[in-house]
Amino acid sequence: MPEGIEIQLKKGVLDLCVLALLSQHDSYAYEIAARLADQIGMGEGTIYPLMRRLQNEGLVETYLEESPSGPSRKYYRLTETGRASFVSQKAAWGSFSAAVQSILGGAK
Amino acid sequence: MTRQAFMARLREGLVGLPAQSQADILADYETHFAEGAAAGRSEAEVAAALGDPGRLARELRAEAGLKRWESERNASSAGAAVFAVLGLGAIDIMVLLPILMGVAGAIVGVSVAVIAVFIAGGAMFAAGPFGTFPGGAGAALLGGLGLMAGASSVGAVLTIVVIGLVNALVWYGRLHYRLLKPALEPQA
Repeated sequence: MPEGIEIQLKKGVLDLCVLALLSQHDSYAYEIAARLADQIGMGEGTIYPLMRRLQNEGLVETYLEESPSGPSRKYYRLTETGRASFVSQKAAWGSFSAAVQSILGGAK
Repeated sequence: MTRQAFMARLREGLVGLPAQSQADILADYETHFAEGAAAGRSEAEVAAALGDPGRLARELRAEAGLKRWESERNASSAGAAVFAVLGLGAIDIMVLLPILMGVAGAIVGVSVAVIAVFIAGGAMFAAGPFGTFPGGAGAALLGGLGLMAGASSVGAVLTIVVIGLVNALVWYGRLHYRLLKPALEPQA
């Protein structure tokens, strides 16, 4: 079931992707959702439960900022905990994907 | 689906959450529609990309239920967390229900026994000086105290077991259904 595998893979890396985006610059949900939907085909609505969970876990925090067009936007930024979690998750992902890659590379 | 229909179904799905959380969540999705419109997308496009509002609501409610269980450990938040996880469809209810009923039955049975032994101990302690117990009043007093202490400690262990079980269920639900399958797949 390739479809099942793809979903499992996405599930596993969504958190990491969101943390990665936020580590580059603070962002608002629509922007995060648009990028993830675009690049890894995630349902946009999923971003809100996900952001709420990351907030509950203390990895991100929010602040309001005036937007040039329309009402103020809720921006998300990484907390210290979030940054630390991103660094360790990124390292774990790097070694894991390298290991998988080397196994896949050996298979014909 | 129009923006209105999407928001109406989401609102329906969120009933039961604290008013403040509901308002926050609804505002998030309203903003999403507004941002989408500003980017030149139609309401139907945005709604389709968002996914099924019913499922999103279930997931948001589950997150709220789990958060509540983590901040206040009591019977009602435990119940809420268990139902939130079940509501996700995270665990096949037909498989789990008999087990849950069995576990719940055993817990109730043991609690009743604990309370009965505690009361019996109390009665023995109170009646000790007046009754004719083998070994005399002193033994009855000590025996009564012993029964009550025993019942209390079994009760404490039972509470720890129940907390552990609810935690395990919450952990399971989180692990497996962090993001629901249909929510991951944008619905056409």
